Amino acid sequence: MSSLSELKDSYDAVIIGGGFFGCRLGIYLRQTLKDVLVIEMDNDLLQRASYANQARVHNGYHYPRSFLTALRCRANFPRFIAEYPECIVDDFEKYYAVGKIFSKVSAAQFRLFMERIGAEIGPAPAHIRKLFNPLLIEEVFKVREFAFDAVILKDRIRRDLLEHKVCLQLGTQVEKIAPNPDGSIQVTCSSTQDPALKRQLRAAKVYNCTYSHINQIISRSGLPMIPLKHEVTEMALISMPDELRHLGITVMCGPYFSFMPFPPEDLHTLSHVRYTPHHYWLDEPGKPYLDAYKHLAAIQQRSSYLNMIKDVQRYIPAISQARYVDSIWEVKTVLPRSELDDSRPILLKKDYGIANFTCIMGGKIDNIYDAFAELEYLESEPIRN
Amino acid sequence: MISSDCFVSVIAPLDNDADIVLDFIQEVTQVLKNQFANYELILVDDGSRDDTIEKVSLALKKYECMRLICLSRHFGIEAAISAGLDSAIGDYVVVMQPDSDPPGIIPEMVQLSRTGTGVVIGVRKGRGKEPFWAKLGAKLFYWYIRKVLHLNIPANSALMRVLTREAVNAITQVRDRYHYIRMISVFVGYSTQEYLYEPISRSGKHKARSLGESINQAIDMVVINSTHPLRTVSVLGLLASLFNLLYMLYVIIINLVKDRVAEGWTTTSLQNAGIYFFILLILTVLSEYVGRILNEAKSRPIYYVLDEKNSSVMLSDSDRRNVVDDPLDSQIKNPDL
Repeated sequence: MSSLSELKDSYDAVIIGGGFFGCRLGIYLRQTLKDVLVIEMDNDLLQRASYANQARVHNGYHYPRSFLTALRCRANFPRFIAEYPECIVDDFEKYYAVGKIFSKVSAAQFRLFMERIGAEIGPAPAHIRKLFNPLLIEEVFKVREFAFDAVILKDRIRRDLLEHKVCLQLGTQVEKIAPNPDGSIQVTCSSTQDPALKRQLRAAKVYNCTYSHINQIISRSGLPMIPLKHEVTEMALISMPDELRHLGITVMCGPYFSFMPFPPEDLHTLSHVRYTPHHYWLDEPGKPYLDAYKHLAAIQQRSSYLNMIKDVQRYIPAISQARYVDSIWEVKTVLPRSELDDSRPILLKKDYGIANFTCIMGGKIDNIYDAFAELEYLESEPIRN
Repeated sequence: MISSDCFVSVIAPLDNDADIVLDFIQEVTQVLKNQFANYELILVDDGSRDDTIEKVSLALKKYECMRLICLSRHFGIEAAISAGLDSAIGDYVVVMQPDSDPPGIIPEMVQLSRTGTGVVIGVRKGRGKEPFWAKLGAKLFYWYIRKVLHLNIPANSALMRVLTREAVNAITQVRDRYHYIRMISVFVGYSTQEYLYEPISRSGKHKARSLGESINQAIDMVVINSTHPLRTVSVLGLLASLFNLLYMLYVIIINLVKDRVAEGWTTTSLQNAGIYFFILLILTVLSEYVGRILNEAKSRPIYYVLDEKNSSVMLSDSDRRNVVDDPLDSQIKNPDL
């Protein structure tokens, strides 16, 4: 790990945040720019939301009420698989079931929607149907959806950064940014270990890819916060009984649940629409900023695993044999508007308060390709002041 | 002190209960928190037109382990309870009315249920304030249910009850439109026990059913659960036709034996009236059943859900300050430091 003093004085682009989005953006920017630096506050890459999620490579099934999101998933699914084949885990069968009571879609609607967006969907075999309580489940479909291994993805990304000569600075946080008179941006950073160790850089462009921390740099730089919703979420890590071990099951579309293999741990993650979110808060202009990760570290949350499993076993009795191992806690950040329509649009704000300062946030790992398309579009526009 | 490690769900239907709902939530949560390691409070709003939903939504930010299910319109208390039962996850599920059932008796009733008796049914002490006809009607109704339908519903049984997970699973399989929890929780079997308690009145108002409503409910409960009235009128019909046959025989014999037959008016009208009485009675009961068959044949859902909200309790402000105090943030606020 290089120390702060080894950094250059000036970069073509500085990317804040070494998650999947930040790193992949760095590789993308190297196509056109010479000196690109990724700054990460942790001592490793892909440690937060890129790791602590359900590791699903979306193929549209998850969004039967948002046509656009589902279609974008369909478009990005093959690209992600083609780019990161070694990270894809496909040695399990994936089923989507439609709930009978409380569901916002019916089985017929779900099938029709998937057929329209061209997502593979077929009937589930009898031995899978038998796992479900027929009183609560209307229909079960076999689908094509994969998981990714976030640890293999991290190793791959690290190699890619080296290969594409993207500079990487770990254990470093960006304190604030400010416009320079010459149109460049001054970036003040410090060591995460010892905040007294500071360094100032000049960057032609700065990209903020810090997900839950997106408003941290913004508020420290004296800019108005972007309205965002943060949720403290809990996913249970469980060891499945044999009959469920090679399965991933999602029940749509209401207060239901989903479990999927979690490749890095060789376990399953279980998330529940009702019990995974614990509480939320909103970032709004004018409100004091609440540091999501410090908040998460400071609070003592009671696990909701018991609630999850009690509910899930009403639908799939066999899961009562599962063994609870641990919970993964993370802050999930969403745009307040996606509450309404369940969509997961990316947030992309160019020249946010400062020229050439861009904030990017995506809700899903494969959203990255949409972000590139949007960046290209915005770059082609004349510069706004 | 937490005495029980079982998971308890409490279901309370709400119907224009804005004045009492906050008191109720506060009291129930207190009891549940002290007594059970794991619990949930499910409030089902049955199409309230006052600000019940707003009040509960605010309470969701203050109290943990609470859920609010909003039905799309008023479906009746039984449908609201069904909605609660359909999503309750507890090992023991308590059903109670926020206005009249005291939360303090929950632990004792759950304890009774846990020690092996299965379903525990709350029974109100006396029907003191109710008028004479209500008391008599109730007595008659419970007698009929016991004698004829062989369902042992305790007299004066309230909605307040504790159901075991097995009972809830059985009850949620019954998807009649006439889903009377008082009847069905006995119908599914399992051992039941009574628990005598004094009802309270949170609002001070007495939400009594009218005579018409009571009669309607009694007819629904009987008709949907039993074909006994139908069988009774079948027997009556049979007797009536037999009587008719005998009468025809009598007329023929009289005709043959006597020379002069006249003035048959009395007997003819008596017979006519008698037969019409039976025919109308039979038609009445048949129409009741045809009505039920029609409603069941429609097989619409018992209720529709508009929205579901869950607790989202943030730390109190004093706790929060420690988290917000970011050394870097304070540097920016005080650049001199």
